[in-house]
Amino acid sequence: MSEPMIRLNRLTQSFDGVTVVDALSMDIEQGEIFGFLGHNGAGKTTTIQMLTTLARPASGTATVAGYDICNEPLEVRRRIGYVPENVRLYDTLTAAENLVFFARLSGVDAPARRVREVLELLDCTYLADKRVGGFSKGMRQRVGLAQAILHGPAVLFLDEPTSGLDPMGIKMLRDLVMRLNTEFGMTIFMNTHLISEIAKTCTSIAVLSHGKLVYHDRIEAVTARYGDDAALEELYLSLTPVGRLAEVA
Amino acid sequence: MQGAPSPGWLIVRQSASFVLRERTVALLSLMFVVLVLISAWLGWSATSTVNRIYLDAAAFLKSAGQPVPTNPVLDISPLSLMRNMSVYVALIGALSAIVIGNRLVGLDRKAGVLPLIGIRPLGRDAYAAGKIAALIGLILALGAVAGVVAVATFLVLPAITLTGLQWAQLAGFMAVTTLYMGIFGLIGLAAGAAARSETVGLLVPVTLWLTLTFILPQLTANLNPTAAINPISALAIPPDTSFFHWAAIVLGPVSLADAYKFASAGLLDYLPQGIASPSFIPPVITLVLATGVAAAFAWRALTRLSMTEGEYNV
Repeated sequence: MSEPMIRLNRLTQSFDGVTVVDALSMDIEQGEIFGFLGHNGAGKTTTIQMLTTLARPASGTATVAGYDICNEPLEVRRRIGYVPENVRLYDTLTAAENLVFFARLSGVDAPARRVREVLELLDCTYLADKRVGGFSKGMRQRVGLAQAILHGPAVLFLDEPTSGLDPMGIKMLRDLVMRLNTEFGMTIFMNTHLISEIAKTCTSIAVLSHGKLVYHDRIEAVTARYGDDAALEELYLSLTPVGRLAEVA
Repeated sequence: MQGAPSPGWLIVRQSASFVLRERTVALLSLMFVVLVLISAWLGWSATSTVNRIYLDAAAFLKSAGQPVPTNPVLDISPLSLMRNMSVYVALIGALSAIVIGNRLVGLDRKAGVLPLIGIRPLGRDAYAAGKIAALIGLILALGAVAGVVAVATFLVLPAITLTGLQWAQLAGFMAVTTLYMGIFGLIGLAAGAAARSETVGLLVPVTLWLTLTFILPQLTANLNPTAAINPISALAIPPDTSFFHWAAIVLGPVSLADAYKFASAGLLDYLPQGIASPSFIPPVITLVLATGVAAAFAWRALTRLSMTEGEYNV
């Protein structure tokens, strides 16, 4: 059996003595669309920050595309793309200028040509020569996705990608994610708290509560056991503090 | 991938081009260039006026059959006509360098792009080295502008011919000038990377610059601020009291504006007889040491800059 695309082994993070990610262990296989559910402050973003090598874990290890996040960060970075929750870019530059800069930093050959290709792929070439400063959240999200896939990463990390988007934007993003997964074989790691998105997009899910992994399974197993979105929501609520509070009440 | 620029070089190029697009940086740099030109013009004007008066007087004296004294322009070192430049460098040059250093990292932080840079195959040390290299390039460019103006001034003055040693002294002055601006650029870079907010990142180095330029010279040489902006009166002998004796020992080594002015006066041959730097460390050594310390601070701040929380707190 081949090595999983992402492997977490007791991955832990703490700030000022408070543990925010607590000994997280799980495997995510190549080609999966993985949905990482959790309440606000559960530790989802912190987990992504560790896996993308933006932050060093307090303890534990993880590998991404077969490379250790602590010992081989540059190798990990060559194989990942990342779209933060709020995509921030150089506002005074155009979308294409921003993308060419990030493409060059990623070591992409012929960056201008590659930027055009990616903008065409994402159906947003009309944004190329516009200054980012005037972009809506949806437009930024598209350019954010573009910068993440310029170098053809094996793993794409998305942090709350649909946050703040209108229903059209959400559908557009969902379609793009599915396409990147099916056409280019990218493994997708997606933080979200939208249960409907999980059911429509993901092949496996995990639920994080107060930094602890409380659930991890393939989506078929979840839907077979819990049925539709509403049942999935019940599962989520039963695993998170909000749900437990409701039970107590 | 052969021939592709390294990520560190990309940081250098991108940072420098971003900073040059900044209106504040452009205005300050322009002001620096204008003041450098004015300082050269002041020196040229004073020298050529004296020279013209001398030539008229010499012609009159000669026609009257009286002895002609030597040209006073030739009594002083021609290099000294550049003395005003040392004042402008200490004022606007250092301030420009602070703003350039601050913006080099501040633009990334303000834009909020650090996470997107942080996930590229680029080490934190390459990022830091790129920013410092960009700063060095921009400060060298400012120094080069001042150097070209100085050289052009000497080339257009017909009464003045510099010896080989004097050209070397002028080159030394330009090197010291660039070094001095570099110190403030590094301080600006360090503060821009370490401060939590954009305002503090700019306020700290500017306060330091004000202290070094106007306050420390008062404590080490009893020099009032208006005297500090005159190249000659800035070179004062401190009163012979125990306070100034101890102030020179304690504060002399960190009084960078004093060190720069004394180094400049020595190199441009306008240091008055009997006046020496109050510090026990030679001025040029002080500037070299300060550059090392500022570079260490900048390196530390840049390599510790959080790629997840590096955005300024507004």
